[in-house]
Amino acid sequence: MTPAPATLPWHVHLAMYLRLFAIQGAWNYETMTGNGIAFALEPALRRLPGGRGGPAYCEAMARQSGYFNAHPYLAAVAVGALARAELDGVPAAQIERFKVAATGPLGSVGDRLIWAGWLPFCSALALLAFGLGASPTTVVALFLGCYNVVHLGLRAWGLRAGWRHGLHVAQALGTPVLRKGPAHVTRATALLAGLALPSAAVGIIGPGRAVLGLVLGGVVAGAAVITSLQGRIAGWRLAIAVLTLFTILSLVR
Amino acid sequence: MTLELFRIDDRLVHGQVVIGWGLPHALGFLVVVDDEIAAAPWEQELYRMGTPEGMEVVFATVAEAAAAMPNYQADARSGMLLTADVATMVRLAEAAAAVRQVTLGGLHHRADRVPRLRFVFLSPSEESALRGLAARGVTVMAQDVPTSAPIPLEAVLAAEGTE
Amino acid sequence: MIELLVGHLLPLALLGALLGLDVVAFPQAMLSRPIVAATLVGGFLGAPDRGLLVGVALEFFALEAMPFGATRYPEWGSASVVGSALFTPATDGTTGAMLLAVLFALITAGLGGASMHLLRQVNAALAKRQQVRIARGSGGAVVALQLAGLTADLLRGGVLTFGVLLVLGPAYRRALEAMTISASFSRAMVVGTASAVGLAALWKLGRTTPGAPWYLAVGLVAGFALAGGLL
Repeated sequence: MTPAPATLPWHVHLAMYLRLFAIQGAWNYETMTGNGIAFALEPALRRLPGGRGGPAYCEAMARQSGYFNAHPYLAAVAVGALARAELDGVPAAQIERFKVAATGPLGSVGDRLIWAGWLPFCSALALLAFGLGASPTTVVALFLGCYNVVHLGLRAWGLRAGWRHGLHVAQALGTPVLRKGPAHVTRATALLAGLALPSAAVGIIGPGRAVLGLVLGGVVAGAAVITSLQGRIAGWRLAIAVLTLFTILSLVR
Repeated sequence: MTLELFRIDDRLVHGQVVIGWGLPHALGFLVVVDDEIAAAPWEQELYRMGTPEGMEVVFATVAEAAAAMPNYQADARSGMLLTADVATMVRLAEAAAAVRQVTLGGLHHRADRVPRLRFVFLSPSEESALRGLAARGVTVMAQDVPTSAPIPLEAVLAAEGTE
Repeated sequence: MIELLVGHLLPLALLGALLGLDVVAFPQAMLSRPIVAATLVGGFLGAPDRGLLVGVALEFFALEAMPFGATRYPEWGSASVVGSALFTPATDGTTGAMLLAVLFALITAGLGGASMHLLRQVNAALAKRQQVRIARGSGGAVVALQLAGLTADLLRGGVLTFGVLLVLGPAYRRALEAMTISASFSRAMVVGTASAVGLAALWKLGRTTPGAPWYLAVGLVAGFALAGGLL
């Protein structure tokens, strides 16, 4: 007789979801997010035969605390899929193979969608709001509200999709939002940021705006220099050098 | 433009590759060289999910990659070739003279490996294979993202920590 | 100004701890982004609008750095607390205040990045101590390691913020007294540098996405027109 598919009560699902927020709490160069994966999975693994501390639980915990790395939000997909696989009794070798194969793509999709997509989009939106004169409360609420609707939703969706599809979760990652979404978000960010940059600059410089034209010309030239370096040196490090130089000049004048 | 980067990285297609290198070098294609993945459509599907629109990903065995190397080199786009382990890159270098420079991008903790850099852990056999690669005239260095400085192989092998 | 800073040193260190924790360990809700963190600190010091000003300047820099797993990147949570804590109490129009506050915040961001690198090594050492129990599948060991890492990160951000404000606070005051550039030039210098870094980051993000460079160009043209209208 085929065993009944595993189920996960809502309170276990919720406990895993909440633990996902601390998934990088013990991040290190050896196992990376590995301990966090085991930490987030632990409430589900208590439902293995023998319960907490039983042989199945201990084997699964040991297996899941090994090396893993992915985007922290999309690690939810892996946690859901691994919970399903463990509770369904999928062979250990297959689970290990999935972990190896999932780490790169879950990192890549998340990095493109969030770090290179949604986060800069929300920044640009908040910068534009500032440039248009919005109050500090509005700017902060706009940024946090927009960002976290997607952040909280993505973690919840990932956990649910991983649980639903198990090790076949590539189907879920094929959703147009994840496949095509980053490109659309990048275009929207480019438009919004282009709009925001000059007005935010005006907003900061405040009185004495005669220098604005000079500044904005310098911005384009500076950006061209940084871009030509092809990422060999980070712009914020260059900025430390430039600002230090101006500080010294100002002090010795 | 051509296949300009050869990288050993056990995560293959991930953020450092498609964004960290992909954006500044405007990468248009990736070649994943791995005999097992080349025979596993479900794994290929996962890796395809990790590549952005406009970036092609090709899966090949070592033999297929060696044979197709002139085509990769003639490609008008910038490209990166990836292997998940040292042994595969060594086999490829033996089969294709075009492999002149190899970057260690990420080899992570395993029971038989010792830490050399924060993103490079190596076993004795891997170290020996890398020395062999260097002896063949291939430049080997470690660099996770373009903003970090490249570290020559000798310095990597002399390092004893996670700097 | 400096008295205000000293009186608030401990609460500011606590804010640095909490916002530093948000960068990676918990909950990564981007409370640590400069535009949020610096404004919160400004609000705490009674001038959220000044906190927002320095937060916006730092946000341009933050557009560039993406927190890929194992790479080293600046830590903006504690840095934003430092930048805002230095800039907010200075009276409006103080010579060079923004230049120095942003410079010190950037230095703190770099130090924060280095401290996170150290923390990851500490976490690895903590993991080694629990290695045998974890290999046996002890749930208690996994939870203990996670909590130890979170606590260590909280301490990291707090100590960093406290230490930097303690050392750089007096240096900031002395430098401000000796500076000769005007407040608007100071701001213009910061905005110019920050915007150049931000624009380069946006170009890098968008250049490989079909159409995105055009969207950026159209946005910039419209943005300049909008800014002209605001002047």
